[in-house]
This record gives sequence, C-alpha cells and structure tokens, in this order.
Amino acid sequence: MARYNLEKQLNILEYALSSLWRRRMKSLSVLLVFGAVIFLLASFQMVTQALSDKARQVLAHTPEITLQKMSAGRQEGIPLAYRDKLAGIFGIRRVVPRIWGYYFDEVRLANYTVMGMAVDEMPEGARLDTALARGTMPGPAEQGRAVIGSSITNALDLAGRDTFSLFRPDLSLKSFVVIGEFSRDTDILTNDLIVMNLADARDLFGIPGGLVSDLCVYVANPTEIETIAKKISDALPSVRVLTRPQIQKTYQAVFGWRSGFGSICLLSALAAFVILAWDKASGLSPEERREIAILKVLGWETRDILAVRFWESVIVSGLACIIGMTAAYVHVVYGAASLFRPVLMGWSVLKPDLHLLPRLAGGDILLILAFTVIPYLAATVIPAWRSATVPADSALGG
Amino acid sequence: MFLNPWSLALTLCSLVVLVLGAVAAKTAVRVLRFWEPGSDSNRQIRLENEIWLSSTLVAYGLGFQIVTLILFVLAADQFCQVIVGAMCATGALLANPYGMPALLVKLSGVFFYGFWILLHQLDIRSEQYPLVRIKYLALLLLLPLLILDASLQTLYIAGIKPDIITSCCAVVFGESTGTTTNLIAGYSQQGPLVAFVGSIAGLLLAGWGLLRRWRTWLAGLYAAGWLWFFGLSLVVITTVISSYVYAMPYHKCPFCILKPEYHYFGFALYGALIPAAFFGASVAIAGLVRGKAGLGGVVDGYQRLAVKISLVLLVIFSGLSFYHYLKYLISGGEG
Repeated sequence: MARYNLEKQLNILEYALSSLWRRRMKSLSVLLVFGAVIFLLASFQMVTQALSDKARQVLAHTPEITLQKMSAGRQEGIPLAYRDKLAGIFGIRRVVPRIWGYYFDEVRLANYTVMGMAVDEMPEGARLDTALARGTMPGPAEQGRAVIGSSITNALDLAGRDTFSLFRPDLSLKSFVVIGEFSRDTDILTNDLIVMNLADARDLFGIPGGLVSDLCVYVANPTEIETIAKKISDALPSVRVLTRPQIQKTYQAVFGWRSGFGSICLLSALAAFVILAWDKASGLSPEERREIAILKVLGWETRDILAVRFWESVIVSGLACIIGMTAAYVHVVYGAASLFRPVLMGWSVLKPDLHLLPRLAGGDILLILAFTVIPYLAATVIPAWRSATVPADSALGG
Repeated sequence: MFLNPWSLALTLCSLVVLVLGAVAAKTAVRVLRFWEPGSDSNRQIRLENEIWLSSTLVAYGLGFQIVTLILFVLAADQFCQVIVGAMCATGALLANPYGMPALLVKLSGVFFYGFWILLHQLDIRSEQYPLVRIKYLALLLLLPLLILDASLQTLYIAGIKPDIITSCCAVVFGESTGTTTNLIAGYSQQGPLVAFVGSIAGLLLAGWGLLRRWRTWLAGLYAAGWLWFFGLSLVVITTVISSYVYAMPYHKCPFCILKPEYHYFGFALYGALIPAAFFGASVAIAGLVRGKAGLGGVVDGYQRLAVKISLVLLVIFSGLSFYHYLKYLISGGEG
C-alpha cells in the first residue's frame, strides 16, 4: 500500500515536471519574479543579521559600564574627581577615563573620530597592539603621537610621510607623528579613527584639565554589572550609567526594527508577486482545459490533479528559493550588500569596506520560507482547485 | 513589537491560515445546508467538487500551522535578545500572559487539524461519504480555534515591550522552590521518571496486545494512555531529559534543545513524540466513526496501521530520550 502510494506520487511528480516544461515560458516568468522577491527579502534578512552579529562581536569587548555626565539633557565633560566617589564600591576592577569626539576636516569634508585613551590603565591595554598592522599604541608620556585607521591614511594623503596636523578650536595647528596603523581586519571600528593619549586629545579639543568625555568602568564579575550600575547611579545621580547588556539589547532592537521596516516595504513586492501568481494560475488556456479533461476521461481523479498542481507549486518555490537565496548570499558576501548599504549603514563620508558574513541557521531559512512560500502556496491553491474541477464533457465538447 | 521580521512572518502566516479557514468554512456552511447524497442536481455536483477544495485548504492549513508552530518557538528565541532578563524562549514566552497560551493553542491546533484530515481520509474511502455532516460541523468548530490562535499570537506580539523584566529558564524551571515564577515546582525527579518508564512499558504492552487481538476497551485505553503519556513526556523532557542534553544539572528548559548548539536535538525528540501521540490518540477517534456505513473495514485497517506507527515512533522517542542519559552513564557519570 505504502509502496503503491509512493510510486503514484513519484509518477505524479514526473507528470508535474513535464507539465512545467511544456509551459516553460509561463513557468520561467513566475520562477524569475519569485526568485527576485526571495532575493530581496533574503538579502535584507542576511544583511541585518550579519550586522547584528558584528555588533554583538564588537560589543563583547566594550567596558561593562560607561559613565557620561548629563546636563540639561545633553552630554558634557565628566570630572575626573568622580573616580574617587566610585572607590568605595566593591566589584569594580578599574575606572579608566576617555576623551573622544569628532573632528571635522573642512578641506576633505569628512569627519574623523578622535579618541584619547589611557592605554596603560586599560585591563587589556597591552593587547591593543595586536590590532595594529604596524607600530605601537601611544604611551602616556609620548607627546604628539597617533595611531590611525586605514582610510585616514588615504584621506590625509600620508603615503610617503608620517606627520600631519590638525586644528585646535582656536585654529592654531597641532602636529602629530604617525607611530602605528590599524590593521584592515578591524575596519568596521577603526576605519576613521585617530587614537592618541589623553593629554594630546585634551590639547586638540581644548578640554579643560580635570574633565574627560566619559569614564569606563570595568567590572570583574559580569553577573554583578546590574548591581554595580545601580550603586553608581545612587552615588552619582547626575550621571548616565550605560551597561553593556543594555547597549547590546538596544542594538538588537534597532536592527530588528530596521529589518522589520525593510520587510514591510518589501511586503508590497510580495503582494504584487502573489497577485501575479494567482493570475497566472487562474488563467487557464483552452489547451490546459482540454488536457485536464483528457486526464479525467482517462480516469484521473480531482485529487490527482490537485496533487499535480501542488507538486508544480513546490517545484517552482523550491527552485526560486535556491536561486533567490544563493543570489542573496552572493550579493551580501561578494557584493558587500551594495543594494541595501545606504539604508542600513551610517552617513559617514569615510565608509569602511564591509566584509559581511551572514550565518544561515535553519531558523532563518524557515523565516524566509514563511515569508515567501506560504503566501505563494496559498495563492495558487484555489486556482489549482478550479482547474482540477473542470468538467470533462464541457472542455472536450467544443 | 510588530516591526520585527519574525512578528511579521507570524502575522502573515496567521492571516493566510485565517483566509484559507474562512474559504473552507463557506463551503462547510453550504454543505451542511444543501447536502443531498442521493441527488444529481447541479448544486450537489458543485458541492461534491467543493469538498475537494475544503479538504485541500485544511491540509494546507495544517502544513502552515506546523510551520508557524516552529516559527513561533524560534521567534520567541529571537525576542529574548531584546527582553531584559530573558535568555531563551522560556523567558520570552513568559514576558506576558499570552505567550504560553498561544503556544498551547498552536500545539493543540496541530492535533485538531490532523484529526480533521483523518476524518476526511476515512470519509473519501467510502462511496457514500458517510461523514460529510460530522466533518463539516467539525470544520466550523475549528474556526473559533483558528481565531483564538491568531488573537493570542497578536496579543502576545503586541505585548512584547523590550524593557519588561522577565525570568530566564534557570529560574523558571529550576530547583529553587518558593518562587512564584517556577513552572514545574516541587516535583522530585524520581516520581515522573518512574511513571515515564512505566508508561512506555504499558503502551508497548497494550499496543502489542492490540496487534495480536483487537479489543475495543483496550483500544480506548491505548488512546487515553497516549494523551497521558504526551503530557507526562513534556514534563519529563523539561525536568529530567533536557538537563542531560545540556550536560548541566541546573539548566532545565524544553526550548533550548531546539537550538543549533544542541544539534537541533529537540526537533528529533518532538518530531517523534508529537506524531506518535497523534497516531496513538487517533485510534480512538477512528473507532468513534466505525459504525458508519461502509467504514468498518477502512477503520479497522487504519487503526492497526496507527498502532504500528505509534509503536515504532514510541521506540524511537524512548531511544532518543535515554540516549544522553546512557551516554552520561557510560562516560563515567554517576546515576
């Protein structure tokens, strides 16, 4: 019995394949449009997923807690003296000051990110050199030394020399010697970055002594982050306390939101395709009516013809999925997602080269299938039934 | 939180299933009103054609429902990344009061659509279509379930706020008694485990007895036994089996076993358990319509087949359940 059923389904599958081949122009047009819709949805999904993976990787190394001083709802410099108020809280491993900001280069119309770090005070500071393609990170005593990201080298045209100058707020010049360059592997973070020591950054931005941009709090035990954050905000009420898990969740929510928004825009494409599929499936030509009538005269039942139509839909969706998802993968990995980059990336002039690697888990494939194949199958089932119930006599009579 | 691809996909699938259900229900109303088996009027011939439409629609609905069931659990697993305090699907599903009910309704939906398709398959084996009225009454009764499913799911998604604090599975299914969020509290592991092994043995014996000589009371007992075993298995998977899969005594979660980290083990486990329970319980459903004209032989054949399938799946399920435990014992663990 089971063997008989299997053989029957295989024969029906074969008939469905030959039937698709006979109407190859019609099948091909549906296949191509379906593939394109899946391509759009899948590449959007893959880009957001790869970006949120990247964000998670990057954020894994941020300090556990970041403190920023707020005044009138805006961020301002935080006094270094606040460090003393944190001294009594157990569980804090280290508090490291940081100065950072954006430097607008009026000649090249680009924004650089300038960061002044106390490398020697950071828990993993000694390992930062591994992120450099050449050179070392500037130490606290070295004045006028900087490490730069790869597109700064191009922007400042530093090919043959290793000194450059930036303007202070009073338009006097401050010069720097390049003592290192970040490796291309960290481009997503360091592409537009200039790193120097705290004193140089303070001098460049004209920040008064005793103030820094923010304080990074390193916590020894990750399960204590929330408790310590609460103690800090009790001790320093005017300070905004950002914990790493909070920032991570915000990123995930933002990427989920962006991807949902993109999906809604693409839903219109999906709707158009479903209408096309419905239309293609309902418009029965006289030849098709005659074909079904002949099958019925030969002893086929309604359910066999429904099975043929079902297999046709499955074959078309399967092929379209393979084409669409492969194209999406190629687009994201080799084409750096060029279609969706403007939507998902920032607006900086110095954009890093993106090397995205989407991770395709079973769940994501199922998500894309649920978005595309289920509406397609639903759109073709009623036309399939209509074609399957064509009365044999009416089609053959004419 | 509707602006998320997972919420959108779930909502889209629910809408599709609702539309299919509505079209099928239209046929059901017409069949219940105008069905005349002896007549050869145009309307009767049209209705006989429409039966095919409705059964195909329910079959598609079942397929889509299975997909949404999986999608729902995976979506909950994604949502936990934005919900404070949640680390897996458990936390995400408990983030508001609609999560668990939505999951249970989806799960029971899979069973009910399956039973409907079974009735349909039995019906078309007989030339008189003896089950048409029962079948279409049942179809109309499925519609409220579909609507309930879609509404619970929509309420659940609408209620997810990224700043709600919820619990992670270590707290919810953990050993610590006294907390109100503990789903399965106060059970010792021994009791359910003994009942689990006993039930497997009982079901195997009953199934073997049925295949040797068919007895109606034993068939009823077998079907009831499967319903009991299904509930018990869900408890045992949560409290005992899952922590052996994770190799962590305090990690007890029925959802994390579905993740790639554990080689999608949960899909194999539930993929054996759910069909097994379906076929086991369907023995009784098929038995209920045995007295209808022309169905005696068909039902007998189906019941024997269903018992065989459920027994094979039971053996697979038991093997999977004890695999990690035995591996743990063999590699030197203490029992």
